Amino acid sequence: MLQFIIRRTLSMLVTFFVVSIIIFMMMHAIPGGPFDGNDMPLPDNIRARLMAQLGLDKPLWEQYLRYMWGVFHLDFGVPYQSPGETVMGLIAHAWVPSLVLGGLGVLIGAPIGILLGMAAALNRNSWIDYLASAIATLGLTIPVFVISTLLILVFAVWLHWTPASGWGEPRRWILPIMAYAAVPMATYARYARSAMLDTLNKPFVTVLRAKGLSERRIIFQHVLRNSAIPMITIFLPMFVGIATGSIFVEAIFRVPGLGAYFVSSIQKRDYPLEMALMLLISALFCISYLISDVLYALLNPRIRLGGKGR
Amino acid sequence: MSEHALELSQISKEFGGRTVVDRVNLVVPKNQVVALVGESGSGKTTTGLMALRLIEPSAGRILLGGHDITSLRQRDLKPFRRQMQVVFQDSYASLDPMMTLGEIIAEPLAIHAIGTASERRDRARDWLQRVGLDGSYATRYPHELSGGQRQRVSVARALILGASVLVADEPTSALDVSVKAQIVNLLQGLQADMGLSMLFISHDLSVVRSLADQVVVMLRGRVVERGPTDRIFANAHHPYTRALLDAVPVIDPTARRRRTFLTAEEINANTPRFRPEDIEPQPLVDTADPQLVALAGSHFVEAIVTGGR
Ligand SMILES: Nc1ncnc2c1ncn2[C@@H]1O[C@H](COP(=O)(O)OP(=O)(O)OP(=O)(O)O)[C@@H](O)[C@H]1O
Ligand SMILES: [Mg+2]
Repeated sequence: MLQFIIRRTLSMLVTFFVVSIIIFMMMHAIPGGPFDGNDMPLPDNIRARLMAQLGLDKPLWEQYLRYMWGVFHLDFGVPYQSPGETVMGLIAHAWVPSLVLGGLGVLIGAPIGILLGMAAALNRNSWIDYLASAIATLGLTIPVFVISTLLILVFAVWLHWTPASGWGEPRRWILPIMAYAAVPMATYARYARSAMLDTLNKPFVTVLRAKGLSERRIIFQHVLRNSAIPMITIFLPMFVGIATGSIFVEAIFRVPGLGAYFVSSIQKRDYPLEMALMLLISALFCISYLISDVLYALLNPRIRLGGKGR
Repeated sequence: MSEHALELSQISKEFGGRTVVDRVNLVVPKNQVVALVGESGSGKTTTGLMALRLIEPSAGRILLGGHDITSLRQRDLKPFRRQMQVVFQDSYASLDPMMTLGEIIAEPLAIHAIGTASERRDRARDWLQRVGLDGSYATRYPHELSGGQRQRVSVARALILGASVLVADEPTSALDVSVKAQIVNLLQGLQADMGLSMLFISHDLSVVRSLADQVVVMLRGRVVERGPTDRIFANAHHPYTRALLDAVPVIDPTARRRRTFLTAEEINANTPRFRPEDIEPQPLVDTADPQLVALAGSHFVEAIVTGGR
């Protein structure tokens, strides 16, 4: 097990560096630079001096090495759009709204999805099943920004129940949380349904019925436990995946979270911030997959004791 | 005469309007092994599951040890569940992968609230040994075993409650030849020891021949022939039974083999025909539909009864 974790951590580091190179190159492949904005044209000599100050006149590989050297010392530089603070400082306050809204969205969406999927599996081909399938399909196919816009239209514009956007008093959280909850709910509805059906169709469940175990106990003592593994292992990666959706949700609801800075850092060619956010997300993805794999191994006797296969 | 271990009477099952099991009569006498054979999709598993009340029959009656259990509610059925048990083909999917073998084998005792936890553990170990596995296997998980070993665990779990009727649905079909023989021996031994009555569903006529007292042949949901094993193997009347027997692998490679199965037309054309006066007891009606008629020695075959006086 320890060996497995070490091996995975090493391959994670390699992945991380490859990703960082790709991100760095793609970031600079976008035409333009931080001082090309039309609203504030700069004289050429001043711009050149600024570029030199920020090291942007150096060859790309040197810029990359300098940046990564900083990263090693946990120094992610200074965001161009807010020179008064560090990238670390900015992220430190920007992740709060993202985590609160995204976290609540997952914590609300996932259980609803699981219950929906379970109800669907236990009442196969009933209206509940069809409803759950419809919700799951819609939740996964309609883009988050469409869902967000619909939510604003219905609850803010038509019904006047909630404010349309902003961050602050919890009333404003409702719509973004609902937008965030859509994907986890849909994902879990699908996973829970198929995992439960899969288990319910196993002969060992039939044997348990033959033994006289009540249907309720079969579900709670056997089926849930067997269906839980895939659901637990997708949780963390899905949670991190929410971060990608946050780009749209936060932009639409004007929440000053990581997603909003993501958008502005790309627009403003704020290389240090953009790079830091990208690295943060890839690191979280890598770590969440590692934790998932470890969890999977811990929960599944087939891997836990056998030691084979992986 | 005393009641039978298991009796299915005129039992039928429809799935979505399609009749999968059609008025089957089947008796498993006490202490006997009755083999249910027939091609894939002929309704063997459905029949076995109906006998265990794991699928609700569309019509007909189920008698377990003479008790009519056809319409008992699940709660009232529970005591009867101790008497009838099942072993399936897929040894891995038959065991909860999250549980140790000891827990799996002991679980039926827990379900019926028999003994304390430690007594149950001890009995599970005893049963592991009884089916030929070391007691230390109790703490292992299903994936650590071979298919044959898992099937032994399934047998132990099935019999730990002291069942009198065992439905074995192709328990050896997924196993290698040598392992298959071991499992057949195990079942045979336990059957003799415990006075088990067994409904043995199988494709494998060589196993059937060594294990079964009687053979019931199913074709598209109907019983087309049944009788004592030696009579069926020596003197099958129905063309479908003969085709099944011809399909049994033979050792002599030069012997003629027929693997092809019969079409409905071939079966109809070759269905035995009797005149009413040839048969004992006399059928009630003169009909062109096939019906089961009695031959000598409790041997029945589906035949067309025509002509007569
Ligand atoms: N739950 C179900 N719903 C609909 N049709 C079913 C169901 N279970 C079985 N059937 C159908 O009933 C027929 C008989 O199935 P059954 O499993 O009893 O056959 P079998 O003789 O056991 O076949 P095999 O040798 O392949 O196990 C098949 O045509 C099958 O498709
Ligand atoms: Mg079958």
